[in-house]
Amino acid sequence: MIDLWLIFRILVFPGFTFILFLTLFCDWVERKLEARIQNRVGPMVAGPGGILQPLADFIKLLTKEDIEPRDTKKLVFRYAPLAAFSIMMFAMCFLPIDGASVISTGGFSGDLIIILAFATIANFLLFMAGWASANPYGTIGSARVLTQFLGYDIPLYLLALTPAFIAGSIQIATIASSFPYILLAPWAFILFIITMQAELEKDPFDVPHSESEVVGGLETEYTGAKLAFLHLTRDVQVVFGSALVVELFLGGPNGPVFFGLDWLFYTLWFVLKLLIVVVISEYITTVVARLRIDQVLTGNWKILLPAALLSLIAAVALATWVYHPFGIGMAVGV
Amino acid sequence: MAEQKKKGKSRISPIFKRAVSHLFTKPATTKYPFVKPQLPADSRGKLVYEIKDCNAIDFGCGPDFRLDIKALRGSNCQVCVRDCPAGAIQIVEVEGKKRPQIDLNKCVFCYQCVETCPRGAIKQSDFYELATTDKGALVMKPEYKNKKEAS
Amino acid sequence: MSNAADMINLLESKFGDRIQIKQGTLEAGAIIANNGLHYDVLKAMIEADEKTGITAITGLDLGDKLGVYYHVHTAKPFFTIKAEVPKADPKIKTVVDIHPGALFHELEVTDLLGVVFVGNELQGHFVLSENWPDGVYPLRKDVDATKVQLVPTPEREANKNAEGRQVKIIIGPQHPALLEPEKFSVTVDGEIVTKVEPRIGYVHRGIEKTAESRSYLKDTYLVERVCGICNPIHAYAFVSTVEKILKPAVPERAEYLRVIALELNRLHSHLLTLGHAGLEIGYETLFQYFWRDREPIMDLIELTSGNRVYGSLITVGGVRRDLNPEHIPKIKSVLEDFRKKMPFYRKLYQEEPTLRLRMKDVGVLTREDALKLSVVGPVARGSGVDMDIRKTQPYSAYDEIPFKQIVYTEGDTWARMNVRMDEVEESINIIEYAVDHLPSGPVRVEVPRSVPEGEAVSSVEAPRGELFYYVKSNGTDMPERVKIRTPTFANIPSFLKTAIGESIADVPSNFVSLDPCFSCTDR
Repeated sequence: MIDLWLIFRILVFPGFTFILFLTLFCDWVERKLEARIQNRVGPMVAGPGGILQPLADFIKLLTKEDIEPRDTKKLVFRYAPLAAFSIMMFAMCFLPIDGASVISTGGFSGDLIIILAFATIANFLLFMAGWASANPYGTIGSARVLTQFLGYDIPLYLLALTPAFIAGSIQIATIASSFPYILLAPWAFILFIITMQAELEKDPFDVPHSESEVVGGLETEYTGAKLAFLHLTRDVQVVFGSALVVELFLGGPNGPVFFGLDWLFYTLWFVLKLLIVVVISEYITTVVARLRIDQVLTGNWKILLPAALLSLIAAVALATWVYHPFGIGMAVGV
Repeated sequence: MAEQKKKGKSRISPIFKRAVSHLFTKPATTKYPFVKPQLPADSRGKLVYEIKDCNAIDFGCGPDFRLDIKALRGSNCQVCVRDCPAGAIQIVEVEGKKRPQIDLNKCVFCYQCVETCPRGAIKQSDFYELATTDKGALVMKPEYKNKKEAS
Repeated sequence: MSNAADMINLLESKFGDRIQIKQGTLEAGAIIANNGLHYDVLKAMIEADEKTGITAITGLDLGDKLGVYYHVHTAKPFFTIKAEVPKADPKIKTVVDIHPGALFHELEVTDLLGVVFVGNELQGHFVLSENWPDGVYPLRKDVDATKVQLVPTPEREANKNAEGRQVKIIIGPQHPALLEPEKFSVTVDGEIVTKVEPRIGYVHRGIEKTAESRSYLKDTYLVERVCGICNPIHAYAFVSTVEKILKPAVPERAEYLRVIALELNRLHSHLLTLGHAGLEIGYETLFQYFWRDREPIMDLIELTSGNRVYGSLITVGGVRRDLNPEHIPKIKSVLEDFRKKMPFYRKLYQEEPTLRLRMKDVGVLTREDALKLSVVGPVARGSGVDMDIRKTQPYSAYDEIPFKQIVYTEGDTWARMNVRMDEVEESINIIEYAVDHLPSGPVRVEVPRSVPEGEAVSSVEAPRGELFYYVKSNGTDMPERVKIRTPTFANIPSFLKTAIGESIADVPSNFVSLDPCFSCTDR
């Protein structure tokens, strides 16, 4: 029998539609913040304060002509953007937004690893999207995407496991409802934000999108609806990355609840914390320049990876000898 | 990157503070077309042609030290036509008289014609909103406003 | 040697009767050297003074002969070596082996006039497009450029992917890194650049040929439109060359107003470059900040000349408009506000880690390379060559206004950007001094429309480097030959040298530090 409540949760709230509008909203926040830092106004005409601008951009791209060069690998070229978008949306469904994740069974032990794997697969699909376009700029751009995200995945996993080690669980809902781990491992929080910048390909790790070198990067040959979904995938990745930070380090959707409306207040706390992380990430993006590809790789293998290892060792040591004997930070069952 | 930022406590780039302070200052954008900018009164905008001042059939155009009288040819003044660098001025017939027609599509707004005209028939204005979808609307055809001017 | 007489004595003692020297014409002197002697004369001059270099090579049509004039600059005096070849067999010896900076100039003369430089032959076209028919040389007097029949584009041979694992990347005419179209074929081995081949001429509009069929008055507006960014300096260079033939008594007030217009232009051009450099390295915030601060300067330009971009203020005999004394407080307050903003940018260049990572040790040009390739402007001054035309050959009112010459020695992108930032401060000082010490009087004198026979050269300091004009008049109201040598034309060969051996990711940052302006390059 069809569970209408589950379908509602998946499709509308807190599932597909809600995440879609949250993505467009975060895009607007990013653009407005970047504009204000640069002393200009940003979007201001579409809707009050320009809030409908990302939606307008998406619809505009959907109406444009969709050109496919003759030499592309058709299957991959056509469906990679859509596949990447779907996988990212699916990964978002595991994160607790209104107190419980979309599929509302509280997840399962190990879903942290699964959603990180989904993010990697989505990035890999984006790489294949650029590789399938018959364009040297696309090839170079997607090769850079691959180099960057594969390299930075290792510190990402290590740092994502730091709160998991302190909590003693690898289930996101458990970690989220245990403790705001930013207080117990602040160095891991800072390193995780930086690694997330590299995963999301934002400045200073913006190399795959550098127009002055590779024109459009992996998006060079894409037009119309496929380009709309590529942009949307990138925006959903931003929300996903920030949501992961919120869940792992800031305590997820937990916060004070009034009037017993737990779904409303949990969602509000989640969105508030998400916006804080998005603002921090966009601030870093705006104030620095873009690094060269070899500087990005040096930063990864020589600086970030040893730092992530050290951070993990420090966190485990602190957990074993300081936190757990006092009962701080241990997993609270969901 | 984190290490560099943490070490350089006294040598922090000023942009970090500046970026935050900009969030609280008014943006530098002029919100055109809702707000129009203030232009200086003598900026070079659209030309204004006063047909009653023009006298294209006169010979020996008045005292003006910028002209070399010997270089004038024929019995028409037409100095504006000769001096326009873009070739935007042509002579047309209006009510039996020869008058200049200024094509703003080609005009570069250098105002050489304003300077050269010995009778000051072409004048300056600071009107700059000339954008239109019809090229013909940008050709300034000379016409008399009433019969009195034509005589 | 900084004395013209010394150089002339040296040449006379070396070559005796085989050359003729006319002292005093065309700046320090014109040396007539035919039959391949130009090579030896140039070699002697280079050995005598290390700062000797070729500013430009003018080719002109002298009836049954083709003239090839080498304009040579030394530490201070400026000479011209005149050589002639018969039109039927226009061969002349190349000087590229003793002075590599002459490469582009010789190729251009070959393309436009048909002179063959033995040892530096041109394949295909250099400045003209591929559709131009062979054997038709536009700058010759018998060619009417409007009636030339274009040929269909020839079949391009396939881009042979160079030896081994080297790949050719084309930073093509349309590219987000370039403001204007030019093509650079960059051969890379992995990530390291091994060769750069330029193809210029995409914006070639034939301004030199057009100027020959318009009066001097109209040409002032025509040469202004060679470049949109540095337009008053083109107008000034042309006007000052014509004034050297006409010799009118330009009033003092006009000279000061010209200096104000030129320095305002230098301010806005340097801010444009500094912002554009930020954009190339991915630093959009810096780009927005610099261009926001550029807006009041554009407003000042509109206040003084009536238009934000094409001021058209300078004309033969003076300036067209006077400065209203009511505007002076506004000018001073805008400059004062601007001066307060500079410490922020200085500190940013010193302290910002990502900016230093992208700009330090990128595109290093050594001092001897800078001298051999005859680079000009901030590119030269960033490599330790102290060459600023406003100091070495002062023009207009610059000899009365005190200012400093900015020289850095590192030779990388960071040094060149710093040179431009310091020059911004100096420009503010110059404008304030000029506004404070503005003499009274008329702003324009009457000049005749026809210019007597003669020829003259003039060098001025554009924001991008040394701009050189050569004008030859024949007694009518239209010039016989106008030759323009723009600074970017002289600076591009240095990019071909500095890009080699560096990563391809450094190419945009390296390139933008030259401050390229392709409208100037192609004319």
